[in-house]
Amino acid sequence: MSPTLAGILFIGSLLLALAVCFKPLGDYMYRVYSGTRHSAVERGIYRLLGVDPDGEQRWGVYARGVLAFSVLSVLFLYALQRLQDHLVLSLGMKAVEPSSAWNTAVSFVTNTNWQSYSGESTMGHVVQTAGLAVQNFVSAATGMAVAVALVRGFARSKTDTLGNFWVDLVRGTIRILLPIAFVAALALVAGGAIQTFAGHGTWTTLTGGEQTFTPAAAASQEAIKNLGTNGGGIFNANSAHPFENPTAWTNWLTIFLLLVIASCLPRTFGRMVGDNRQGHAVVAVMATIFAASVALTHWAERSAGGTVPQAIGAAMEGRETRFGVSDSAMFASATTLTSTGAVDSFHDSYTALGGGMLIFNMLLGEVAPGGTGAGLYGMLVLAVVTVFVAGLMVGRTPEYLGKKIGAREIKLASLYLLVTPALVLAGTAVAMATATGRAAMLNGGAHGLSEILYAYTSASNNNGSAFAGVSVNTPFHNTTLGLCMAFGRFLPIVLVLALAGSLARQAPVPASAGTLPTHRPQFVGMVVGVTIILVALTFLPALALGPLAEGLL
Amino acid sequence: MDRLPSWLRRHIAALRALLVLTVVTGIIYPLAATGVAQALFDDHANGSIIEQDGKAVGSSLVGQSFTDADGDPVRTYFQSRPSAAGYDPTSTGASNLGPEDVIDTLPHGSDEGRQSLLTQVCARSKAVGELEGVSGARPYCTSDGVGAVLKVFPDRAVSVNQACPATPFVAEYQGRRVECARPGEDYATGRTVPVRGDVTTVRVPADAVTASGSGLDPHISVAYAELQAPRVAKERDLALDQVKALIDEHTTGRALGFMGEPAVNVLELNLALDRR
Amino acid sequence: MATHVLESPNQAPAPKKDSRMGGGLLDPKQMIRSLPDALRKLDPRIMWRNPVMFIVEIGAVFTTALAILDPSWFAWAIVAWLWLTVVFANLAEAVAEGRGKAQAATLRAARRDTTARRLKARDPGQWDVVAAPELKQGDVVVVEAGEIIPGDGDVIEGIASVDESAITGESAPVIRESGGDRSAVTGGTKVLSDRIVVRITQQPGQSFVDRMIALVEGSNRQKTPNEIALNILLAALTVVFLVATATMQPLAIYSKSVNPGVPDSLALNADGVTGIVLVSLIVCLIPTTIGALLSAIGIAGMDRLVQRNVLAMSGRAVEAAGDVSTLLLDKTGTITLGNRQAAEFVPVAGVTERELAEAAQLSSLADETPEGRSIVVFAKERHGLREREIHGAAWVPFTARTRMSGVNLDGREVRKGAATAVMKWVRDAGGHPTDDIGHLVDGISASGGTPLVVAEKGRVLGVIHLKDVVKEGMRERFDEMRRMGIRTVMITGDNPLTARAIADEAGVDDFLAEATPEDKLALIRKEQEGGRLVAMTGDGTNDAPALAQSDVGVAMNTGTSAAKEAGNMVDLDSNPTKLIEIVEIGKQLLITRGALTTFSIANDVAKYFAIIPAMFAALYPGLDALNVMRLASPQSAILAAVIFNALVIIALIPLALRGVRYRPSSASKLLSRNLYVYGLGGIVVPFIGIKLIDLLLQLLPGMS
Repeated sequence: MSPTLAGILFIGSLLLALAVCFKPLGDYMYRVYSGTRHSAVERGIYRLLGVDPDGEQRWGVYARGVLAFSVLSVLFLYALQRLQDHLVLSLGMKAVEPSSAWNTAVSFVTNTNWQSYSGESTMGHVVQTAGLAVQNFVSAATGMAVAVALVRGFARSKTDTLGNFWVDLVRGTIRILLPIAFVAALALVAGGAIQTFAGHGTWTTLTGGEQTFTPAAAASQEAIKNLGTNGGGIFNANSAHPFENPTAWTNWLTIFLLLVIASCLPRTFGRMVGDNRQGHAVVAVMATIFAASVALTHWAERSAGGTVPQAIGAAMEGRETRFGVSDSAMFASATTLTSTGAVDSFHDSYTALGGGMLIFNMLLGEVAPGGTGAGLYGMLVLAVVTVFVAGLMVGRTPEYLGKKIGAREIKLASLYLLVTPALVLAGTAVAMATATGRAAMLNGGAHGLSEILYAYTSASNNNGSAFAGVSVNTPFHNTTLGLCMAFGRFLPIVLVLALAGSLARQAPVPASAGTLPTHRPQFVGMVVGVTIILVALTFLPALALGPLAEGLL
Repeated sequence: MDRLPSWLRRHIAALRALLVLTVVTGIIYPLAATGVAQALFDDHANGSIIEQDGKAVGSSLVGQSFTDADGDPVRTYFQSRPSAAGYDPTSTGASNLGPEDVIDTLPHGSDEGRQSLLTQVCARSKAVGELEGVSGARPYCTSDGVGAVLKVFPDRAVSVNQACPATPFVAEYQGRRVECARPGEDYATGRTVPVRGDVTTVRVPADAVTASGSGLDPHISVAYAELQAPRVAKERDLALDQVKALIDEHTTGRALGFMGEPAVNVLELNLALDRR
Repeated sequence: MATHVLESPNQAPAPKKDSRMGGGLLDPKQMIRSLPDALRKLDPRIMWRNPVMFIVEIGAVFTTALAILDPSWFAWAIVAWLWLTVVFANLAEAVAEGRGKAQAATLRAARRDTTARRLKARDPGQWDVVAAPELKQGDVVVVEAGEIIPGDGDVIEGIASVDESAITGESAPVIRESGGDRSAVTGGTKVLSDRIVVRITQQPGQSFVDRMIALVEGSNRQKTPNEIALNILLAALTVVFLVATATMQPLAIYSKSVNPGVPDSLALNADGVTGIVLVSLIVCLIPTTIGALLSAIGIAGMDRLVQRNVLAMSGRAVEAAGDVSTLLLDKTGTITLGNRQAAEFVPVAGVTERELAEAAQLSSLADETPEGRSIVVFAKERHGLREREIHGAAWVPFTARTRMSGVNLDGREVRKGAATAVMKWVRDAGGHPTDDIGHLVDGISASGGTPLVVAEKGRVLGVIHLKDVVKEGMRERFDEMRRMGIRTVMITGDNPLTARAIADEAGVDDFLAEATPEDKLALIRKEQEGGRLVAMTGDGTNDAPALAQSDVGVAMNTGTSAAKEAGNMVDLDSNPTKLIEIVEIGKQLLITRGALTTFSIANDVAKYFAIIPAMFAALYPGLDALNVMRLASPQSAILAAVIFNALVIIALIPLALRGVRYRPSSASKLLSRNLYVYGLGGIVVPFIGIKLIDLLLQLLPGMS
């Protein structure tokens, strides 16, 4: 079988698997978030939390719940790292530096999982499992909760309330993430991923050298790291590391995991608004962007443009032999089109245009299919803006799913779309304007600019992957990137919840022949167009001086 | 609790939620996963350790370098790929050098200099070629194993990766005389022109000249293994076919026929050789 | 019941022009005349209200300063075109406003110099003379033939013919009388005959004419909800592009520094992109096209209504018209012609049709109502009975008591009228009408017609079938509405049977029979509860609550003050069909905004392809691949983009004023068409435009 055909089958089988899961998992998640019954375990948890699971929350209360939970999570994670030397099972690791601890805490709470540290030499068992992995669960569940709250805004009418954050958080964690993660963890171990709480292992190699490996509960963390689109690996090499991602098929499974929830949430959305076609339209937008992006990245990587890839004859620098160029490119596309940021190959060594596509994927706001929850709400905000422009063009006050898109809705949606670009560009500009900022570059010239652009793009969009040559474990970068992650996560969440609140209050407008249909290919095409054109227009100057300058020769 | 202000109640609920979920997802979940994993797949869960004579010699998933104390290849072993981590599992990672990293900083005085990715590729290709007795030539590489890159000025051109007194890989570029590079001189204002050259057949495979992502890649491509087979056979006095059969034995094909690339596990292959 | 027909409803004047969208020609002279206004609007205190153009103005000032400090041919050319961009935007608004000003001037003339004779008490003999603006609400004035009515009010005494041409442009005088639905008079109109006493209903300075002047001038134009939302989106886009260009600077400085061999250029030096080029880029990227035309579109939308003799009291109402999903239409005058027409003569047994026709015609000869005329005409057409000049006939007119009319001629008495009334008359005269007649009457009623029984003294001859005649083209119109997603509901006082028959014939979606004002109000509330926006017309005082409740309430100018106050639009032509046009104008207004926004944003693609290579291709020659237009030089590329950006504003002013073409059709089709024209067109046109401008520019010195 030719590598090209194998690559196509690899992508095709992933899409097929996602398509198979779309309905059952989407419907299951619909039942999780719409059900009124609480299981015995959950009732126990709510009692421990001291919350009334049937108490509905207004958007402000919901948002304050998200923020309170996240702030405490940051503090907890920070404390855990700073006190690491006093913890058991810490494998002799020292306390983490303050700026790095802050950066890591924010990074994991915001579902970014940007890692300015090297896992195997910094974090012991307790910080990994009871600190970082916990956030892998709850930050993903938070994203899903916010998405569900927004969908409720569309689905409900004439009400102030959007559901209960604690219930959504607990249900998302316990009913969706935990069971899938558990099965996936065992599958990964079956493939060869390690899962142990033992101490360091050492052996003498055949030629007399010594190798020491850092043991970890890698499989359990790897499963949720991808399922929750987190991306923060146990080891520095992340999913390229054979203990995290040992075989070609675990590689497939990993990609599948990081796409599956975000790809199926549109079905949940369709069910919740009572019109499955709307969910299909959203997933069609995601699939279109996904397909185009994957195709372009594959083309760039397989044609191995650029001096060094041409000298090598294939874009193999930074790739694992067992994955090869195609599957690595697929992983890279998937990890940047979602907010995962796990890597099974090193993006810094990608071809200029291939690496540029990865940056572009993130700049799209990670909506195809995006992070767990974050992808759906990002896509819905884009749909709102599209509906506004398109709605005007059919001569009516724009409506989406029966809700009028008026001044308040547009204000919130516009601010949402403003936040991330502003953070990306301001962060990049500040770093590029200061000697400290520029000192982080490994590569020179246009590629160095791409490294900085990638870093702030990744942080602001809560991705977490990097052009990893960049050395950002400095107070300057830890702080600025931390701020980008925090604002890039929570400002959009607050805006989305405010939008949800505003939509929920409205009475629905019945659809008629004069209403813009939002389930047809026409609308799908328009959302795709708006998304791509908006991003291209905003970032073309920066992209021109980075990836394009390097790649167009 | 009801008398507390609402913000405080909220934060207490948040703290409790965090603690409860930490117990569920941070303690119960990994322990349960470990328990089941250890029960079902203890070999995998503990790192797929390979033992020889009761002693651990490595992990089938973690690559090793088969070099001697001086860093030279041990000729009786198949060689792994280059590694940015030096096959040290405690500092995994890649080179992270970009596709246009083509200009070296030549050693100069106390400055040790820096090899560009292009020069690293060229140098590895040359070295592998020499080791295996084939041509190590590649596009964009000079015959002395550095990147073939010119800095072009209005009146001259400099082959920046070839430190004087080397002979530049071309004598003339578009009417300009090509000079060798003097370490320490600043050529920044020149236009960078990598020169492809006329190499058409490349004998050294791509994975032999590139560092992997993890720095622990346990595999090499089938092509690289086959390139090394004659040398190993000769060094070990084995028939080439025997070695090739071993390579086949330790080649993992694409999973389900389409996932990944066929790859040869170097440690297992070398162990199999040793066992013969 | 059936004799309603004899009360003539308001005869609506035919629309004066083609009711389709169109018109709104742009006069170049108007542009020149508006130029001083456009320049006056450069005042920053006025400019800041339009944030997008205000940024362009700041950019123009900044580049002017730069050009003074470091003059070059290129710099001054950019400066000039940036200023032109701002002026063009102001011109668009000034032209739109200018069109209303002429109209306002005529109206002002009507208001000027009026005095009023204010009655001191209800004693008609005692009055004092005051200036019209001093009149207060509740004052009572007397107006005689030849005088101008000093303010808006209701006639409380007398009847007069009034010339309302100053407002409606309709030269035929109209009758205004106390009581009923024709009691409202408008200040500035002229009494032609008789004498009326009017109670003033307006506040000082708030007269209809005052409001009209304000509206057509657009002076206190409030932004409408969609306009506000669009402004927010445009502001956000502007901020995004400001950020994108501002943050480009450190990147450009770095890129320049890592390519030390590249000489400084007009566009880029060690300090990054030069100020002039940076401002050019910003101006090209921010949505100037729609920003410049937005207020002109709004003003022109109101203006289009005014051209159709409709006054909207708020822009909000015009926008709401585009959103209407339920249209309540009065049957009479809107769906059907204002009158019923004879369609059949149905004789009773023993009477020939011709006999009946002759009697019917005879009884109607003196009947000047449209129904009466139609009987005469029908008899002539169907049975060849010519109108006769008859002498010595005693005409018996219709009265509300007898509910029949007819003629006594040579001892022969013929009557026609409501079945019950005529039958009673026959019985009273000793006749014995058969059951047969009852069946005929019921049959006609059931089919939606109106039966008029014709009888001679003591003998019933038969029944005239009067039919409501649905206006030509109504069915097509309603089909169109349905495609636009608008539900039409016919309101009628008829019984459900009749109503259903007419509803079916006209093709409306629903009907409300035997409608009382309360029923109407309830229907509107029900529709609104379901999230629908309702539009209706009305004229009577009892329509006022429904008009006030509806989202778009169009009051007829002939109607009462109460109705006019309650509605949010007034139709000066008093043509109920105009509701449909109003909906179209509302839609057209929104479509124009959406289309030009799309066009404006789509334009950015080409501008990037012009400017980015111009700035950076010297650093990275590969970026010249983006110069797909193969523009001659960086200077000409940047200047061409700026010039195109300015010219496109001027080029689109006519479109902004006229509104984009609107054909009623489904949302999907509309969107496809507008996407192709304004989306795809918006991407393609600037590539062509910039290239053409560049071809011209490269002939100039200093451009290569």
